[in-house]
Amino acid sequence: MQEKKGYVSFVLHAHLPFIHHPESDDYLEESWLYEAISETYIPLLTNFQKLVDEGVKFRITMSMTPPLLSMLDNKLLQKKYIKYLKKLIELSEKEIKRTAGDERLNKLSHYYFDRYSNDLHLFKDVYKCNLIEAFKHFQDIGVLEIITCGATHGYFPILYVNEKTVKAQIAVGVQTYERYFGRKPRGIWLPECGYVPEADKYLKEFGIDYIITETHGILYANPTPVYGTAAPIVSPEGVVAFGRDLESSRQVWSSINGYPGDFNYREFYRDIGYEADYDYIKPYIAHNGVRVHTGIKYHRITGKTEFKDYYNVQWAKDSAEKQAGHFLDCRTAQIGTLAQYTENPPIILCPYDAELYGHWWYEGPYWLYVLFKKVYYDDCNFELITPSEYIDKYPNMQVASPCRSSWGANGYSEVWLNPSNDYAHRHLHVAGDRMCELAYLYPNAKGLKKKALNQCARELLLAQSSDWLFIITNGTMVDYAKKRIKDHIGRFTKLYYQIKDDNIDEEFLKDISKKDCVFPDIDYMIYK
Amino acid sequence: MPRKTKEQTEIEKEENTRKPAKKATTVSKKTTTKKATEKAASKKAPAKKKATTKSKTSATKKTSTKKTATKKSASRKKPTTKKPEAVEYYDLPYRYNQTVVKVLAQTPNTLFIYWDISDKDRKAFEEQYGENFFEKTKPVLIIRNDTLDYSFEVEINDFANSWYLHIADSKCDYKIELGRRPITKTEKINFDYIYVSSSNEIEVPNDKVLFNQNQKMVYFRDIKTGIQTQKDITNISFIRNMGKIYDIYDLGENHNTNILSNPSSGSIYQ
Repeated sequence: MQEKKGYVSFVLHAHLPFIHHPESDDYLEESWLYEAISETYIPLLTNFQKLVDEGVKFRITMSMTPPLLSMLDNKLLQKKYIKYLKKLIELSEKEIKRTAGDERLNKLSHYYFDRYSNDLHLFKDVYKCNLIEAFKHFQDIGVLEIITCGATHGYFPILYVNEKTVKAQIAVGVQTYERYFGRKPRGIWLPECGYVPEADKYLKEFGIDYIITETHGILYANPTPVYGTAAPIVSPEGVVAFGRDLESSRQVWSSINGYPGDFNYREFYRDIGYEADYDYIKPYIAHNGVRVHTGIKYHRITGKTEFKDYYNVQWAKDSAEKQAGHFLDCRTAQIGTLAQYTENPPIILCPYDAELYGHWWYEGPYWLYVLFKKVYYDDCNFELITPSEYIDKYPNMQVASPCRSSWGANGYSEVWLNPSNDYAHRHLHVAGDRMCELAYLYPNAKGLKKKALNQCARELLLAQSSDWLFIITNGTMVDYAKKRIKDHIGRFTKLYYQIKDDNIDEEFLKDISKKDCVFPDIDYMIYK
Repeated sequence: MPRKTKEQTEIEKEENTRKPAKKATTVSKKTTTKKATEKAASKKAPAKKKATTKSKTSATKKTSTKKTATKKSASRKKPTTKKPEAVEYYDLPYRYNQTVVKVLAQTPNTLFIYWDISDKDRKAFEEQYGENFFEKTKPVLIIRNDTLDYSFEVEINDFANSWYLHIADSKCDYKIELGRRPITKTEKINFDYIYVSSSNEIEVPNDKVLFNQNQKMVYFRDIKTGIQTQKDITNISFIRNMGKIYDIYDLGENHNTNILSNPSSGSIYQ
């Protein structure tokens, strides 16, 4: 057996913006959550459980953002998810009949029927609709470390012109974590990995030990970190920063030859929602008849061709196993090299969007499962570790200021600040200043005024979500994103004037509090 | 996160264009013609209306009713009371009527600046320098690099309320001043420059490995004990090891972190 010379640390960032529309069933955007539950969260939980059952020692870190936790905890969304699953089960039953004449397709129809039926069983009977508790279980038994994030994924490099708004994002992120996990988080996933040194003092104030940065957050740090991203650094304020490893990221993320592009993997863009006869599929697509993804996809990537072969579950598994072996070999070689130059055993930090695993890369959760088994059983020179464990083992690290950076395109703020979305920032800044003004003018308010002030804080936080800016840049669902910014700034501004005029409309407050029911324990005094 | 497909977006776009009237007034970056103020915008947005349609981005709206019947009453099959749904409509204020200059770093070499001058301040300028003050002067932005101690000026125009600016030096502190210069001097406008307002100060990000810092010592801290130690990194083996680590990153001229394509920063496999 090879001597253990270093560590690999997987960090999956699980995030969705807060989307909750009790006023209507017609918001397609709510299905982002249901798709992520079926394709990412349940498969991850299932694979974690399999590893535990098989006695495989593994470690993984996940950030679960406050909006995601709030949605997973929401009774209405839980009910809607069950309804979503039941419709999919009904559709896959119909598919079994429809495809009876084609053995390969029929096998896949059965596969989807079994899969969604199993999801329903797991969600209702095993997890009792409580996925947070399911994830918490793995944290409690020591295989998963859950970290927090900014309250609504507000992008710090733009918000920090008013530092109190960054402080509030951190405070509410920590508070929400404590509410669900019963202890303080040791790490935080900075929204979009957006690092500004001005946030460090607040991170320390709320007990955060470490952050994750993009590669150049470490490489361009001052002074230059002598071990690159192979070791964490500590900022002068005392926040430990781990940088994304470039080589392992390329293997998974590369749009040219990344693992998810394997020809045997499921093709994301071929879905019966688009391909089945319209009258047949109509009950299972959007209420207004727009074709959407249903989740039933019969094809594999096949190649750079329009002709797509049917998906073969076993072939996809074979590819995942082959790629897991490749990843293992590459990390072994990488650690073998790095260990010659570092004082402490090197750490390879592999951060990814959790939704890559399962939603975008359907076989991703299985790939992780196979990889973790290989790390445990095969002859390799590294172990899995969480950032917290690494810090505890090797607390001596170089002092350096990480570079202002993000993990967006080109590494800085272009995704969240460009001509398509720059109109939003002055509104976000003014609302932030006004929230501080309200906290200053009305400290320790009681009764209705307190409720209104707390709702103002919620509206501000929801407006600040980086997702709206990203979606506008990305060019899909733009209307929805713009509407969300307008709604939250509009609700905030209206309440702001009502509070200042001492004329709070209780019905209005009740209505928006029901819609934007995030962070029940929020205290607007965080803005003071 | 899951995204909407092109087809959906296009259908929705068409639907939206078919929808009557009530279209959002998008804040236009380079126009100042609209005089809608924040209060006007918020007044335009009544919280509750008895309207039956609602501007939506998703599927068409089904008029929903609010259930007011309790479980008990439902079991007695009492008819539910229909309550008209509150329909909200908001538009972003065109301006906040504040004198403000704010600067943000878009990249290590690009600043984004936005500004406004309140009606009160405009009036004050007009009172002091004549009612045609804004016609007889032109706006300028003075970009001050406080780290390298230099400044330069960019002429802007009164039709804009924001600007992107290229800057040469990354990892420096910048502050922006909004001012005006006379187009033609008059009896009242007999100055070369007049200050209007200045921005927050920002440090723009660094964009390179700081090998050129002549660093001789680096400091290490044990974060458990707080004990700090220093290491001389000028010895040959240290420099060699560090060089080998940084060789791995291939940080030559063509280094570009954008080869990776995160779903959170650009969809993959599209």
